[in-house]
Amino acid sequence: MGVEAHSGPVGLVNAPESGRGVVAPDQGFFDSLNGELTDKGFLVTSTEDLFQWARTGSLWWMTFGLACCAVEMIHVNMPRYDMERFGAAPRASPRQSDVMIVAGTLCNKMAPALRRVYDQMSEPKYVISMGSCANGGGYYHYSYSVVRGCDRIVPVDIYVPGCPPTAEALLYGVMQLQRKIRRSGSIER
Amino acid sequence: MSDVHTDAPTRAEEVNARTAVDPAVEKILHATDSAHAEPGDVAIQNYTINFGPQHPAAHGVLRLVMELDGEIVERIDPHVGLLHRGTEKLIEYKTYAQAIPYFDRLDYCSPMCMEHSFVLAAEKLLDLEVPLRAQYLRVFCAELTRIKNHMLNLGSHVMDVGAMTPNLWLFELREDCMNFYERISGARMHANYFRVGGVHQDVPLKLLADIGDWLDTRLPRLFEDAISLVADNRIFKQRNVDIATVSRDDAIAWGFSGPMIRAAGVPWDLRKSQPYDVYDRMDFDVPVGTRGDCYDRFMVRVEEVRQSARIMRQCLNEMPEGPVATTDRKVAPPKRGEMKRSMEALIHHFKLYTEGYHVPAGEVYVATESPKGEFGVYLVSDGSNKPYRCKIRPTAFSHLQAMDFMSRGHMLADTTAILGAMDIVFGECDR
Amino acid sequence: MKAPAPAWASSLNEATMEAARATLGAALLDTIEIAGEVQLHVTRDGLVAAMTALRDTPGLEYQQLMEIAGVDYPSRAERFEVVYCLLSLTRNHRLHVHVGATEETPVPSVTGLWPVAGWLEREVYDLYGVLFAGNRDLRRILTDYGFRGHPFRKDFPLSGYVEMRYSEEQKRVVYEPVKLAQDFRSFDFESPWEGAEYVLPGDEKAALPEAKGAPTPLTATQVQKADAAQSAKAAPSAPSEPYAKKDAGSTAETGAGKPGPDGGEPKPADPDVLPGKSSGPAGGGTGGQNQ
Repeated sequence: MGVEAHSGPVGLVNAPESGRGVVAPDQGFFDSLNGELTDKGFLVTSTEDLFQWARTGSLWWMTFGLACCAVEMIHVNMPRYDMERFGAAPRASPRQSDVMIVAGTLCNKMAPALRRVYDQMSEPKYVISMGSCANGGGYYHYSYSVVRGCDRIVPVDIYVPGCPPTAEALLYGVMQLQRKIRRSGSIER
Repeated sequence: MSDVHTDAPTRAEEVNARTAVDPAVEKILHATDSAHAEPGDVAIQNYTINFGPQHPAAHGVLRLVMELDGEIVERIDPHVGLLHRGTEKLIEYKTYAQAIPYFDRLDYCSPMCMEHSFVLAAEKLLDLEVPLRAQYLRVFCAELTRIKNHMLNLGSHVMDVGAMTPNLWLFELREDCMNFYERISGARMHANYFRVGGVHQDVPLKLLADIGDWLDTRLPRLFEDAISLVADNRIFKQRNVDIATVSRDDAIAWGFSGPMIRAAGVPWDLRKSQPYDVYDRMDFDVPVGTRGDCYDRFMVRVEEVRQSARIMRQCLNEMPEGPVATTDRKVAPPKRGEMKRSMEALIHHFKLYTEGYHVPAGEVYVATESPKGEFGVYLVSDGSNKPYRCKIRPTAFSHLQAMDFMSRGHMLADTTAILGAMDIVFGECDR
Repeated sequence: MKAPAPAWASSLNEATMEAARATLGAALLDTIEIAGEVQLHVTRDGLVAAMTALRDTPGLEYQQLMEIAGVDYPSRAERFEVVYCLLSLTRNHRLHVHVGATEETPVPSVTGLWPVAGWLEREVYDLYGVLFAGNRDLRRILTDYGFRGHPFRKDFPLSGYVEMRYSEEQKRVVYEPVKLAQDFRSFDFESPWEGAEYVLPGDEKAALPEAKGAPTPLTATQVQKADAAQSAKAAPSAPSEPYAKKDAGSTAETGAGKPGPDGGEPKPADPDVLPGKSSGPAGGGTGGQNQ
């Protein structure tokens, strides 16, 4: 899916109706929005767009640091990578968070706690599995005490590979999740 | 409810002597003892709360079952093992070279220091000579790792007691360390750089100069700035001074090591007393605490960072040229270029990466000074290419066990300060 | 010692062994020095007295207990060995104290001497099942709540017996028998000429050409002997056809091509489209694959 150009006449670009790609902000778009706002004092949009904007714009994530990946997860929040640019802020309480980042090896002893935290999160909720241990056991796959992938315990939306994934990789994973939320409809019909 | 414990003062005195709790607090602490109930007293049950296993101040997956009397901690039962991955068992099924990455993942805040103990243990069994440049590089990387670890620990300790800014600045330094890691080994965190017989590869030339610059400019500026915000800060001192005081005798009996034992006033540093690699050529000071409280532990680590920088500068000045791994082809693989031309080298390479090397039978316990304390490896070899038994001595085990007596009589909020000053990482604690 | 290992006062090894012999008396079974480290093997009953002596006797002064390691030797009569690693801060010396144990014979606890022993003994109990008499808190420590077995014993499989998943029906995590998609690959690098107790795949044909497959696994020496006998009888004929022709029915498995130019089915127009299901997987399926 490429970048849709909006400067040309509408209909010239062969873009499917439902496919919302990454829209490059251009001056015409802003000017028209601005004009609408100053003219009428309000904007008209679909509830779908509104929900998606709200959901992708403030992905508060549950800090579920388990092992090594937790360090990279901290790093992505620190000044250099600064994930709060994307509206994703750490939150220690599952009740108030939208996405859980399972960062690290999930062991048998910890699995009930993970599921409990997931159950406590409010809908809509998403799970990012970070690192090869959470994805499928990784380096500890054959151990007697490790859950071979956190998707055995909770449903996972995004898998971030790596041991550990770099901070950029996790950032990319969060952006992929935003894309996924944008793509999937929010209203059940 | 006057003088409730005239007849049984022993425990109260003991607690008093250790932690110097206010007598009024002490009275509340034992007001519910049923033996001393007076008519009219309402017996209040202690209550038990569960701290963790998912708690942002637990530094990982720690579960503390706390018995509280109001807000005062009466007893703590730490439950560990929530990150027990069976590392030691997995190592028994891997060759020596395959086992090294497991050590990175033990204490993931200081990966290379973990590798250090293991490679030294295997080298001791093999009785293997290591080239001087490799020894310098290992010391250099170990000290870089110490800085990296302390950046995380100091920052999160400060954050646990309420300050935010130093953590942000220290993590910027940590990010620098990670970049250096990447340039040394190719990985930001899990370096897998040390090898039995040396290190994996030589460092890029420009890197040493860059780290030298960093040590002179960026590290002192950011680090001293961040520490100046907290070291004399009144709130920080109120949260840390005289919290969880540990005497010298207690520290020794509870098997403390590293900054924990030094803060208690025992000048014991394995780099000084049992030097390995080229630490005997290094000139550095060992900071020692005077009171044995959380503030001392913090300040010992602060000074260690400065000493580590000093060691790294000496390494940079003295590091000789030469090979970075032993030339014993039965242990260290040949260079890639050599492998392309020589059949002998190709065979060695093949054998080393499939079968690995056989380590003579024997048992050694080798301990190094990791940033958190004495990190030991008890290695039993039966003469095959896999360790028969590799027992890892985690630093956190003995420290966390002391959590009970250290936090007894303190407020609930102090436990985060105590935990932060202990510097516990669960990858290593639970293995 | 050429290795750059931690340089503690290993020159005191001899003196330490002498002093230990003099102090511990009958409790001391053996003193060994391996790789520059002293091991004292003591009896179970004399352990606490020996440890007290090691800690308190001037000239020994092992103030710190750093580690208790369990080791499993299934072939020994007392299969477990508990190793106490002691450190003397004043003499800068390290020492191991070894004591044997079985599943039934408890080792006396040293928690009275070093409080740190509490958790270390719990760990050895958890992972090996060695009991410690006198440890008042001998619970499991590292493994899961309700774990069965002692995982670090040599006869405990690496992947254990159970694995965990969330059950949607029961709304909780449940344990199930372990089922691996791919088994752990453990390679044996023991050379077959050094007494490996198995036959490499294919070797059995060389040993017994008339019987299909050897009825029992042969030892490597037997294979070698049979091999020698075989080569003496008749020189092996060079394989004229490396990919031997077999009967036509087996081409589906070997994928060696079609039995004849007219044997196959007509080539589908689109190579990605397999012929209809009527021909079955063995016949029609291979027609597509062999294109």
